[in-house]
This record gives sequence, C-alpha cells and structure tokens, in this order.
Amino acid sequence: MEIRSVKYRIGKNYGFKALVMIFAFACVIPLLFILFFIVSKGITQINWHFLTKVPKPVGEPGGGIANALVGSILIVVIAAVIAIPIGILGGIYLSENRKGRLPYWSRICTDVLQGVPSIVIGIVAYFWIVKPFGFSALSGSIALAIMMLPIVVRSTEETLKLLPSSLQEAGFALGMPFHRVIFKIIIPVGTSGILSGVMLAVARISGETAPLLFTALGNNYLSWNIFGTMHSLPKLIYDYSTSAYDEWKNLAWGASFVLLLWVLLLNLLTKLITRKWKVQL
Amino acid sequence: MESTIIKSRNFNASFGTNHVVKNVNIDIPRNKVIAVMGPSGCGKTTYLRCINRLHELIPGATSSGEMTINDENIYQMHPIFVRLKIGMVFQRPNPFPNLSIYDNVIAGYKLNGIKVPKAERDRIVEFSLTRVALWNEVKDSLNKKGSFLSGGQQQRLCIARAVAMEPEVLLFDEPTSALDPISTSTVEELFHELKTNYTLIIVTHNMQQAARVSDKTAFFYLGELVEYDETKIMFTNPKDSRTQNYITGRFS
Amino acid sequence: MAQIETELQLLKAEVVNMWTLVHSQLNKARLAFLNFDKDLAREVVLKEKRVNGYELKIDRDCENIFALFCPVAIDLRFLLAALKINSNLERIGDIAEGIAKYVIDAEVSFSQQLLDVARILPMYEESVRMLEDTQEAFEKEDTILARGVFKKDEFLDEINRASHKVLERHLKDHPDDTAQALWTLSTIRKLERVGDQSKNIAEEIIFYLEAKVLKHRNKFV
Repeated sequence: MEIRSVKYRIGKNYGFKALVMIFAFACVIPLLFILFFIVSKGITQINWHFLTKVPKPVGEPGGGIANALVGSILIVVIAAVIAIPIGILGGIYLSENRKGRLPYWSRICTDVLQGVPSIVIGIVAYFWIVKPFGFSALSGSIALAIMMLPIVVRSTEETLKLLPSSLQEAGFALGMPFHRVIFKIIIPVGTSGILSGVMLAVARISGETAPLLFTALGNNYLSWNIFGTMHSLPKLIYDYSTSAYDEWKNLAWGASFVLLLWVLLLNLLTKLITRKWKVQL
Repeated sequence: MESTIIKSRNFNASFGTNHVVKNVNIDIPRNKVIAVMGPSGCGKTTYLRCINRLHELIPGATSSGEMTINDENIYQMHPIFVRLKIGMVFQRPNPFPNLSIYDNVIAGYKLNGIKVPKAERDRIVEFSLTRVALWNEVKDSLNKKGSFLSGGQQQRLCIARAVAMEPEVLLFDEPTSALDPISTSTVEELFHELKTNYTLIIVTHNMQQAARVSDKTAFFYLGELVEYDETKIMFTNPKDSRTQNYITGRFS
Repeated sequence: MAQIETELQLLKAEVVNMWTLVHSQLNKARLAFLNFDKDLAREVVLKEKRVNGYELKIDRDCENIFALFCPVAIDLRFLLAALKINSNLERIGDIAEGIAKYVIDAEVSFSQQLLDVARILPMYEESVRMLEDTQEAFEKEDTILARGVFKKDEFLDEINRASHKVLERHLKDHPDDTAQALWTLSTIRKLERVGDQSKNIAEEIIFYLEAKVLKHRNKFV
C-alpha cells in the first residue's frame, strides 16, 4: 500500500477519535451546568425547617416544602405499588410467549404507551378518574403508574429473555409447576435486572409534572389523605418559580435541589443494586 | 430375563408439521445404560425429551403413540409425577446460579415447597453428592455458590440434583459435550456406578462414548429407529448398512 | 478404574489361563512320551478342544475391546501382542497334540539310545522352560526374561541342525531303527517349531512393553 494513503488513513483515524471524545464531553456539559446551577441556588435553602414546614402565605418569612415532599413520596410510592406487580407479570408473560397475536399486540401497545406525552396521560386520567371521583392523589398515582408501566414491562421482559432457557428446563425437569419455576427460579435470578428497571421507572416519574396538574392538583396544607388533593415537588416548583415573591422563588430552588438529589440518588442506588445482586450465570 | 422399565410403541413426535420422530418401538431394560446416537437432526434429543414430557412445553409440539414406564402410560400421568420418576441432566451444566451447592442439591424439594426436616435434608445432600463422587470435594464449601466449580464438577452437581429426587430413570442429553476430556471421563465413570441404582438413557453425538459406556445402543436416523442392539454387536457387526456407514464415518 | 483397564486385565487373565493350559499340554505330552503312557497322551488329545475354545474366545474379546474402546499407545500394543500370542499358543497346543498322537500310534516304546543320541529329552525340557519363561515375562512384564528366551532358542536350533548327521550315523549302526529314527526326526522338527513360537511370543512381549520390533532381526545377526 502507498505510504501516503496509509498516513492519511491513520490521520483520519485520530481525527475521528478526537471527534468522538469531543461529542462525549459535550453530552456531559449540560448535566454539569444544571447540577452546578441548581446546587448553588438551592443548597442554601436546605435546613430542617425547610423540610418539615409547609409554605407560609406570601409575605411571611420562613416556610418549607414539607407538604410537597410528603405528597411526592406518597404519590410515587402508590404509583409504584400499582405499576410494579402489573409490570413485572406483564414482562414475564411477554418473555414466556415470544410468538402469538396477544404478545405481539401487547408489545406494540407497550411501546406506543411509552411514547404518549405525559400531559395526554394526565388529561385522560382527568376524564376517567377526576371527573367522576374528584381530584385526588390516587388519580395522580394512577396516571404516573400508567407512565411507569411500559418501562417496567420492557425491562423485565429484556432481563428474563437474557436468561438461558436451560434454567427453566432444569426447573421443569425437577418436577416443578410453571408458577414455581417463575417465582422460585427465574425471578430470583433476574432480580437485579428487574429491580434496576423498576428503579429507573421510579426515577423517571418522580419529576413528572404534567399529569399531576390535572389529577392531584396541589394542596397548601400537609395532607396524608390520598383521596384528596395533594401537593408535590414538581407542582411546587411549577407554581413558585414563576411567582413574583422572592421567598417562594427560593422555596422553588430548594425544591429543585431536593428533587434533583432524589433522582440522582435513585440512579446511584440502581447502579449499586445491579452490581451487588447481579447473579453470575 | 431382564425386566423392561420404559416401553415405546408407535411413538411419534412433531414440531407443528415437522415430523421428527417416526414410529419408534423400543424397550429400555432396567438398570442398564442405553446410548442413543445418530447424526444431527435425527430426532434423538426430541425422543429423549418426550420421555419426561419436556417436549410438550415447546409451543406447537405434539406427540402420539404409547410411552410407558413400568407399564403405566406416561401421557396419562400428570407430567409432574412423570418428572419425579424420570430425572434429566442437560448439555450445558446448569446449576441454579443464585443458590448454594447445598441448596442446589435439594432444589427439587425446596423449590417445590416439599417440607423436609433438616436432618433428612442433610442426609439427602450427602447421599446425592456421594453418589456422584463430589462429596469429598465440596463438603467444606456447601454454602458457597457453585460458580467456583469446574465444568465437570458443575455437571456432577446437576446429576446430584437429579439423583436427590430418587428417580428410577435418568436421562442425559449430551451430558459431556460441553466438558473437557478429563471431566468427560470422570462423568463417564459415574455412569458405570449409577446404573446399579438407576436406568440411564444417554443421548450422545460421540460414538466412541456410546461404545465405551453403554450396554445397549439405539441408532436413530432421519427420525427413525434404524437399529437397537447390544453395544458389542452394534460396533463389531451392525445389521443395518446405515448403521455401519454412520459408525465407520462414511457419512456424518 | 476406567472400563478399559478392567477389560484389559480380564483379557490378560484369560491369556495367562490359556498359557497355563498349553504349558500343561506340552508337559503332559513330554511325560507321556517319556514313560510311553498312552492314557496320558489321550488326555492331551481330548484337552486340545479347550485350547481351541480359548483361542476363539480371546480373539472375540480382542475384537470387542478394539471396537468399543479404540485403544491407543500401550493398550493398543498390548492388544496386538495378545492377538498374536494367542495364535502362537494355539499352535504350540497343536504341536503338543501332535506329539501325543505319535505316542498313541507308536507300537513299541522308543529306544533309549536313539533318544540320548538325538538329545531329544534336553531339547524337550528346554522348550518347556522357554514356554515357562515367556509366561513369567508376560505376567511380570519382564523384558529381560523375555530376551533370555532367544538364547534358549539357539540351543534348540543347534540340536535341530545336528539331528540329520546324528541320526544318519545312528542308522548306519542300527539299521532296524529306521521307523523310530524318522519319527524322532519329526518330533525334533516339531520341538524346534515350539521354540520358534516361543521366540515369536517373546518378540511380541518386548514389542508391547518397549514398542521395539525385534521380528526378522535375527536374519542379519
């Protein structure tokens, strides 16, 4: 081969590598900016008072995000409780049945659902649940559960598909009925994958605002009643960040920081769980 | 006169329209090692999986004909009872990766929810591991997961797991094809000892293995049982020319 | 122990059994002939069937081991040696039967002078010892003992070579002994073949133990 063309190709290779690294770096930069911005603005707000008191009316100093924090936790937990069993069982069904009309259409519907805008889901929940039963945290949870579902189903299905079929066969050969094979063998071995899917889904919906606008609405007081309206961190940020009052704006920054921290911690937890519980096949 | 434990009469099996096992008639004698050999795609593995009714778990798989164990029709029994009498060991060693060695051996009881007192469990584990010549190697690491075991040891663990259920028949689907030669010969020596207590049916790609370990050999070709005879006769003077061609390597 | 080891050990025991039988046949034929004992000779003829039976069984066992176990290296050499030793022993058995038949057919006892002059008795004893040596060499896997057999065969060859002249001289002095002399010559030939068979056996033993082929080397010695 000609020396010149070889040199050109080597040079091109280096250029390409440099380009890839630049772009990779470029992906990290927005996150770094966001983190820096939120942390610097919000961290000053965090104190015990902030986390345990409800917002005061305008003009009065003090106040915190207690009701929004409690509300977010409750709504997310209930959404998870609804979505996880359905999602995991759905994922099991799809991994067991590769062919057939029902699995095929289920998969398509799941994928489409994943792409439905969150506000549309919120509106749908409004018409289905809020109209007949009124605004409630539960309706918000249901909307969020619908958003979680596709993620849990797909990640469960993918995890279980990766497990070798010999694992199942070994179970059947020992005389185990199908439900035991699933619950005693397949799920325990696939735990880390399923769990990471669940955690990612939870992280995803923790910050969703649009559905909650039409369902849980908001509540200025600390409430534990899931059948009534409830505040949430995204709602608080949405309301207060555009307000004219500085105290409320500061609350919004603090809340943003808390929400960001929550999502970061969930992602970190996912990584740790995956590493610790990963079963060496 | 040796007694027969498993009989097949006019047995057929298919995957949808693909007829892979054609009209098999065979008598498997008790406490012997039977090798089933043949080229790829000849139906030997499918036939084996019909014996413990694993074949029907595949969507679209069907079978017909008679298959009996101790003169009881296997296809009229509940599949779970069939599989408690007929254990199976697979090609790739597949101990349950999330369970310890101890739990792997009694997995058949534990995962099935069958309650067994601790003393009895310990006895079963020791007994099964001794039967597969693994007890001395692992008795101090029963609580560790099986991942540190070599391929041959893992396969013996799978055999112990099957043996723990006290079956009458053990099916082996190419049990040593994923193992190195030394592990292979350890497992082959095991067959010789196991046959005093169990009947062994071994599907193998490896003709020499069939010759070494079995008392009788069945040769499958294109779904049919071409020849079934004492191993000595099969390998010195087979009756069917197809058998002779296969054994001498005239066609794969 | 691997299956093939068990099978080879059984085969070895079979071959040793056959050896013992053939040795007793050869020895009995010698005693029958020494003492002109026709009853003993008849025993030898009857027992020949057992020798043939052993040969067939050992052949079949070797075939089975080849087919089932595909032996290599020392196992392969052992089997090849066993096959050949098997047929060598069977031929020795045949020769013993032949000698016994002579004793049965002979009308009068043999002239001691003729026997002494031909040195048939020491020849016979030496050939029996050669068979014993090869058996021990086989059982104990002793190649030195096996090599010792070659020298003994030379002794037998020497007697054989000399037998012509010796018997010619004897006949000049004792012309009536023609029949016996012919018979004596025949027996000497037979015993020389026994020696050759034992030598072949020794060569096979060395082949199996050392992978050295000593066949046909004598021609150049």
